[in-house]
Amino acid sequence: MTSFGRYTSAETVGYSFSQPTSAPNKEHSFYPYTDNGGSTLGISGSDFAILAGDTRSVAGYNINSRYVPKVFKIGGDDESGDGAHILLSVVGFAADGQALKERLDAVVKMYKYQHGKPMSVRACAQRLSTILYQKRFFPYYVHAILAGLDEEGKGALYSYDPVGSYEREQCRAAGSAASLIMPFLDNQVNFKNQYIPGSGEGHALEPKKAEPLPRETVEQLVRDAFTSAVERHIEVGDGLQMMVITKSGIEEIYSPLKKD
Amino acid sequence: MDVLLGITGKDFVIVAASKAAMRGPTVLKADDDKTRQLNKSTIMAFTGEAGDTVQFAEYIQANIQLYTMRNDTELGPAAVANFVRGELARSLRSRNPYTVNLLLGGMDPISNKPSLYWVDYLASLAQVPYAAHGYAQYYCLSTLDKHHHPDISLEQGLKILEMCTDELKRRLPIDFKGVLVKVVTKDGVEILDYDNDKIVKSA
Amino acid sequence: MVGKDCVAIACDLRLGMQALTVSNNFPKIFNYAPSTYLGLTGLATDVATVSDLLRYKVNMYRLREERNIAPQTLANLVSSTLYEKRFGPFFVSPVLGGINQTTGKPFICGFDSIGCIDFAKDFIVSGTASEQLFGTCEGLWEPDLSPEDLFETISQALLSAVDRDALSGWGAQVYIIEKDKVTQRLLKGRQD
Repeated sequence: MTSFGRYTSAETVGYSFSQPTSAPNKEHSFYPYTDNGGSTLGISGSDFAILAGDTRSVAGYNINSRYVPKVFKIGGDDESGDGAHILLSVVGFAADGQALKERLDAVVKMYKYQHGKPMSVRACAQRLSTILYQKRFFPYYVHAILAGLDEEGKGALYSYDPVGSYEREQCRAAGSAASLIMPFLDNQVNFKNQYIPGSGEGHALEPKKAEPLPRETVEQLVRDAFTSAVERHIEVGDGLQMMVITKSGIEEIYSPLKKD
Repeated sequence: MDVLLGITGKDFVIVAASKAAMRGPTVLKADDDKTRQLNKSTIMAFTGEAGDTVQFAEYIQANIQLYTMRNDTELGPAAVANFVRGELARSLRSRNPYTVNLLLGGMDPISNKPSLYWVDYLASLAQVPYAAHGYAQYYCLSTLDKHHHPDISLEQGLKILEMCTDELKRRLPIDFKGVLVKVVTKDGVEILDYDNDKIVKSA
Repeated sequence: MVGKDCVAIACDLRLGMQALTVSNNFPKIFNYAPSTYLGLTGLATDVATVSDLLRYKVNMYRLREERNIAPQTLANLVSSTLYEKRFGPFFVSPVLGGINQTTGKPFICGFDSIGCIDFAKDFIVSGTASEQLFGTCEGLWEPDLSPEDLFETISQALLSAVDRDALSGWGAQVYIIEKDKVTQRLLKGRQD
């Protein structure tokens, strides 16, 4: 008997004109994730932290929307976000990002109701890690960045992988253009590969120390990083949403990016 | 599991090649010579597909000798290396390419400078101060990184080689039957007496 | 990278097989005329084969024409050489930088592995760190840089980019090409 590829016929006689009696079983599978593209970026300063993200949402080569925010206020009023003291950005699978933001928002609010004081950024950062790790084997498919002000009033920034491994950093880029933005940030925020002129001969040159940057400088760096990413990455564009957290509250700045 | 090692120093190049000829897990021969002398001051060590190796090495050897006879000039190590690379690169895009990895050690007959070339079966060529092929790379390069200097003497070179072979004896699961050590100096190529019977205790 | 009446071209020095570093002194930039340089990334054997083949072709050109090859001419030579192997390509993506001695104008371009030319006014990147390089170059580069500023820009762009790529780095080589002067510099960079 001859078998024709993947068709398995119940017939035992292999006539050349015989048709398979039953249709072959095709396995359908459901893939629970999509990549909605885009990029986010966070930088912390001495008394502020900035979280930014582009507002384009894509699926493959399609643009779903030109305004889907990736940066959220956590623990504030449901409608206006007033009273929030923590920022969260999520990039990757937008639905998971949304769900994660809702979870964290609820947790931060419950904390306030139960303890009568706002949740510290440090506690929130640890809690977010736990939330992510709880779904270790069906993860929230996102790269999250959390920002706020720490106990001393300094800018605090925490970055996460999809399963909750996290670290406090000075700056972090996430999402599809992270590989474009991150080395630029190393150079311009942490002054990597920069030396103090005249501080020594050849290899004895003293590296330039990284210090918290003033807010205007950081805002400009964020804009530069995103305008650069827009030029070279098709999934990044449309709009730039920036949230700046200081002791006087959260300021949201939207500016358009190229829509091509 | 063949071992090839090369170390340059102030006025010499050491080339060491394992003495076991293996086919799968079987050791067919325990005193195999995986090197060929190409001219007065250049030798080539090789590993790879059985058959290809010797065939390719002797083809190169013959052609280098032919060139020297025709033009009455000794080719320097750089010229030899680039010729070998060219032949291997040509073979790479032919119907059945040679699968051989090489180390070329030589002394420049004019400047008396030692040089070592690392060549893989894809015909990637790199001039290096020390080199290894096969699993020896993973075990020996770190040792060489730590201990090698461009102006070491032959004694120091052999001491580093011993550290490398000790490590190989410790870590390789199959006995490679010791190494055959050849050294190129301005006076030509010679086989060195090398103590392969030293017992190395596992860590 | 293009500056005001100058061009810069730079490469890292690593040669590796996947994760294993074989050499940390493997330059990828080759000289074809006093002010024309070609960088080659990709499969090491093809980097050598293509650079040797082009050296032969450029030498023949120079003997026949009794003049140096112009960057634009070399670009077309590279393109046709690569396209000759359309169905069994050399696995390289070259970057060309130079100054045309007749017009005095800077010229850069890049290629894919089968010879499609990418003319650019600003910069060309290639290799395993190309994404990172796109980011740093797009962020740091600006038009009409002086040779000194161009050197600083290309160096910072390259070093920061390769530090975010595990397969690149181990020092760098930079060429600053002006109309009648070429400066070559070696950068140490991170050794890990």
